[in-house]
Amino acid sequence: MLGLLTESLSVELVCRLLRTVIDPELGVNIVDLGLVYAIVIDDDAGTVALEMTLTTPGCPLSGFLDDQIRGCLAQLPQVREVAITLVWDPPWDPEAMSDDARRALGWG
Amino acid sequence: MSDAAHLSEAARLRRRRAPLVGLGIVALFAGLWGGLIRLGLQLPDDLTAASVQHGPLMALGFLGTLISLERAVATGRRWAYAAPLAAAIGALATVTRAPIALGPALVTFGGLVLLAAHVDLQHRQPSSHNAVMGLGAVAWCAAGADWLAGADAAGFAPLLAGFLVLTIVGERLELTRAARRSRLVRMLLEAAIAVFCVGLGISLANERLGVHVAGVGLAAQALWLARYDIARHTVRIAGVTRYMAVALLTGYVWLLCAGVLWAVSAPLYFGPAYDASLHAVFLGFVMSMVFAHAPVIVPAVLRVPLPYSRGFYAQLVLLHVSLAVRLIGGDLLDDDVLWRWGGIANETAILLFLFATAFAVGHARRQTRCADRRRAGAASSARVELPIGGIDPGPR
Repeated sequence: MLGLLTESLSVELVCRLLRTVIDPELGVNIVDLGLVYAIVIDDDAGTVALEMTLTTPGCPLSGFLDDQIRGCLAQLPQVREVAITLVWDPPWDPEAMSDDARRALGWG
Repeated sequence: MSDAAHLSEAARLRRRRAPLVGLGIVALFAGLWGGLIRLGLQLPDDLTAASVQHGPLMALGFLGTLISLERAVATGRRWAYAAPLAAAIGALATVTRAPIALGPALVTFGGLVLLAAHVDLQHRQPSSHNAVMGLGAVAWCAAGADWLAGADAAGFAPLLAGFLVLTIVGERLELTRAARRSRLVRMLLEAAIAVFCVGLGISLANERLGVHVAGVGLAAQALWLARYDIARHTVRIAGVTRYMAVALLTGYVWLLCAGVLWAVSAPLYFGPAYDASLHAVFLGFVMSMVFAHAPVIVPAVLRVPLPYSRGFYAQLVLLHVSLAVRLIGGDLLDDDVLWRWGGIANETAILLFLFATAFAVGHARRQTRCADRRRAGAASSARVELPIGGIDPGPR
């Protein structure tokens, strides 16, 4: 964990933390579900900008995931500000799920 | 957005939404009171209207308020909050001395706003699952119109069930995309939904025939969900995910029981079969879904943490065991004592759920405040090692 605090801010580091944010109903994290479209980091300013979607616009979990994402990124002292943008285009596609997620959800 | 701005925004949303949840819970209490009167308990008769309006209070006053609030949160439209407000106030108006048409009129308006929210979502991203949930809102509106026209609650009970079943099945259809089902398999569910909707439509003109037909669709949806729902896979994932899947899968058993009863005997208005046919849906299926989704929906709507605990299984077990006592011992075997005690235990399960949820939220908020204070103190003196966050899947 100490490594996380001293490691320089990178997309890989943010991804690693975002993998701890799990959709409780599916039991799979938001990165492996293919919900995170883009991560933009400004190392000097300490800002992380996420572009993500939900499985459907009717899903009320945006605030819930927003809280979870900020909670996990707040552990990095390098991060001073987090911006999360929800987008609906392109729509979420189950094909965007990782192999791990597919296995967990019973894809043959 | 900085952390401080984010926390202040979350607090603002909580202040706006909490009164709506509170009104829905008051409607629930009124509905539960009416349920106890129906079970034959000798209670003060100041609220006899709660007994007459038991079904609408539970299905529209409580569940309608929560479902439309959930949808308002999803759309992010201010006008969509008119749906939960109208549903809760309208339902409560029916147990007060308000003009007789006011309650049903407000509740029907709430249904129309929910329908508008689904139309808005369909414009944003067209989908069959949203269309199915929209049909649920249509069933709410039809029930409300029937009520406004003076119909007895028993007359539009199938439509109340239709609103809740279509809403939940639409949500399951959406999530099951993650399990990759073939087009044929999805068409099977769409066919079952179509039969159910046709049955509900027929019930407006010929209630018994309509319930027979809707029952076939109901049973077919239950079989599909039991076979193809993603919960069949997620039940293997420990913690809150398994808890939710168990609640869903047990709910499908009751939905099947209801479907068979509707299809075979189409019980109407009163009697043991009528009691069983409705409570298998409303308690066995719908309330089990409510228990299942609380660990996600409460934090999403109220922006408060609700950590999962294995203790949540207690309310689920009590709900399903007491329902079995009521429906098998009471309705099927015609034992009045088992029916009454089963019904009282059904309500106890709901109260236990409310208490456990409120306790878990309160406990988590106290812990969060303590952690924030510790972090603020430590940050001024030294760098500390913090645990990795994210959702704790909870005890295995």
